[in-house]
Amino acid sequence: MTAAAALPEEDIAPPRAGLFRRLVSDPGAAMALAIVAAVFLAAALAPWLAPFDPYDNNLRAQMRPPDATNWLGTDGQGRDILSRILFGLRVTLGMGIASVVTGGAAGIFLGFVAAYYRRLDQPIMRLMDMLLSFPAILVGLALAAIFGPGLEPVIIALAVATVPLMARIVRGAALVVLGHDFIEACRAVGMTDARLIWRHLAPNCLSPIFVFATLRLGQVILIGSGLSFLGLGAQPPNPELGAMAAAGRNFLFFAPHIAVIPSLAIFVVVLAFNVLGDAMRDALDPRLRV
Amino acid sequence: MLKRMLLGAALAVSAAFPALAQGLPRDALVVLRTIDADRYDPHRTTARGAAEVLYMMSDTLVSLDWDLKTVRPGLAREWTVSEDGKTYTFLLRNDVTFCDGRPMTADDVVFSMNRWLGRTTPRVTSPVAWRAGKVKEVRATGPHTVEYELEEPFSELPYQLSLFFASIVDKATVERLGDNFGVQGFNGTGPYCWVSWTPRQEVVLRRHPTYKWGPPIYQNPSPQIERIIWRIIPEQNTRIAALQTGQGDVTQYIPYSWLDRLRRTPGISLSRQDNYLWDYFIGFKVDKPVMNDPVIRRAINMAVDRKAIAEAVFFNAGDPADTILNPATLDFYEGTRALVPPFDPAAANRLLDEAGWRRGADGIRVKDGQRASFLLYGIQSDDASRYVEAVQADLRRVGIELRIQLYDATVAWGRLATQEFDAFAMSYPYVSAGDALNLYFRSNNRPTPNRMNWVDEQTDRWLDEGRSALTAEARARAYANVQRQLQEANVWLPLVREQHWLASTRRVQGARAHGIYGVALYKGLDLRLVQ
Repeated sequence: MTAAAALPEEDIAPPRAGLFRRLVSDPGAAMALAIVAAVFLAAALAPWLAPFDPYDNNLRAQMRPPDATNWLGTDGQGRDILSRILFGLRVTLGMGIASVVTGGAAGIFLGFVAAYYRRLDQPIMRLMDMLLSFPAILVGLALAAIFGPGLEPVIIALAVATVPLMARIVRGAALVVLGHDFIEACRAVGMTDARLIWRHLAPNCLSPIFVFATLRLGQVILIGSGLSFLGLGAQPPNPELGAMAAAGRNFLFFAPHIAVIPSLAIFVVVLAFNVLGDAMRDALDPRLRV
Repeated sequence: MLKRMLLGAALAVSAAFPALAQGLPRDALVVLRTIDADRYDPHRTTARGAAEVLYMMSDTLVSLDWDLKTVRPGLAREWTVSEDGKTYTFLLRNDVTFCDGRPMTADDVVFSMNRWLGRTTPRVTSPVAWRAGKVKEVRATGPHTVEYELEEPFSELPYQLSLFFASIVDKATVERLGDNFGVQGFNGTGPYCWVSWTPRQEVVLRRHPTYKWGPPIYQNPSPQIERIIWRIIPEQNTRIAALQTGQGDVTQYIPYSWLDRLRRTPGISLSRQDNYLWDYFIGFKVDKPVMNDPVIRRAINMAVDRKAIAEAVFFNAGDPADTILNPATLDFYEGTRALVPPFDPAAANRLLDEAGWRRGADGIRVKDGQRASFLLYGIQSDDASRYVEAVQADLRRVGIELRIQLYDATVAWGRLATQEFDAFAMSYPYVSAGDALNLYFRSNNRPTPNRMNWVDEQTDRWLDEGRSALTAEARARAYANVQRQLQEANVWLPLVREQHWLASTRRVQGARAHGIYGVALYKGLDLRLVQ
């Protein structure tokens, strides 16, 4: 009998109840959660929160430092940086979520298939190993060279890079769950594969999936911002945090706020997702709760 | 405080940079630049990065004066043109030697011209062989006499022969190195000779010891510096920090945002070429939907604030451009000034309203189900993204959507040869009206460089008249017709005329910006190092 199988049912079942309570009991996690919530809220309410049109330029007011009118200053086109950050969060979060959801979904499917159908395990996982050997930035560069720069190639590159990571995690979690007695019981009563996977296997693997997705969101935001910094991502005039930082790097000596403020925004968002991911891992780990 | 910290950090980084920390050799001038070239073969490249070095390693039959208009002797001490304008006879200097010591003769000129024209074996394909004119034959009629016979007159030939594409090279070295000519070695008659090339790092040249046939525009026809090192520093802040800290001697690659600060930096001198011809513009594919409407093109020309772009994006290191050609250029037609639509966004809005372009729900105009939206391709660079974004914002105010797609230079030229886009952003050097107009507006130059798809028999006839004109007046008249036609059609959005600056440290004397094909140092003569 495995240690997990010896645990009470409520501890191996999806431990979602009380997750929020456990998260907020940790000050670091609570702060990360608050920041992530604020970031999502700011992105959602950007049209109402932004003091200026993020696309409207005023070349004669370019590179102004933060002041009472433009709280975070203006960029090289004379656009309000605060407004662009708020709208940029939408683009950055959208890029991250789209790539984690699509890449994660593919990885989850392949991970379950590899774990459940053992004869497919080797081919699928070797394919995942191959995908792992391509760094996301390399895939992004290749796609941008073929299709031209833009958000779509970046999302595809990040999704492709997410697939093998998620597949490995899901496969590992699924293999543990598949060793439990209740899986044998399900098979004994003649449950179909699809029903078994959907109703019993998947729910018991949700914890690592949630944790990885949260951590991965921070990572893809960082990589995506890096690709945009290189000019491969969002195209003008779209405000994207990495592209905004890139636009200011040539003026670091004269107007450092143009590059520093979006960079700080990336730093805070990524840090918040990483801390939150770590806290979720702790909160969802049954071994830390017994 | 933060700015000072950043500057200090940059200087520290540049000092720690191995390539920069070597210190300057006492006998070498270190030239800082942004990018390398693919090769240093004048007949196989058009890159300015190659031109910079090739002008020093090789010579042309004629040279160009500081006014960038007057043609002066070069390897040819004089030349005559036949009455029908078809035959140029060049009398060569008899004291010229290649870097390996071999005397240069008329045969070398014939070989070099034929190689440029793709008439040697193995065949070399020069992308700009058309600049040589419709050549019937180039022949040596004596050891130091060359006849250059054309099928039809080409009044701009002397200007074209001053460009580095027409450099004279050594046949034996070309044959010995084959495809690696200009990669592993070079043998020319220039004031400096090839020593080594480390791609993406540096090119090293040494003084041509017997050189004394420099163009007459220089005070001293012989080189006075032992070695010249062309060093690549792509990042602009690092490059300028290197210049300020004495890790380099001279650069023409000055970020616009730095120009004013360099002016105030002790120990840095700046030289400006006032006659420089390098223009930024946006060209329209006149046969594509939206772009094929003259009203749209006129409204675009009225909506964009070029002055603000010159001031803000180019930090006043560029002059607003309204006419298709620079008024300083040879054969510029003054009449085009009156044809330029004035900057007036309100009038642009009225014009579009009257033409039936109504604003849609998203603010972008629509006419007959067609959105006033167009796709622009360009080459990715910091400057390009800034000025096209400024244009984008101006057009948005009059209800025209500009979609921007900038490509890395490695793929951009291929994309710019397609019909995928509606407009393109470009900057280019030229030596005269004929040079620019023949390049961009000949019907048979589609799809590139005639990316506008400008097809007009009358234009072609006028261009032919200009090319083959026997007098300056006839040539100017023909090109004036083309300029008037193009200005009326608003086939371009001229944006900014770049200024040409050269920055040098106090270690350098005699640095003066020339600007031929965008090259500031040109032959590198009159330069001296002061220890």
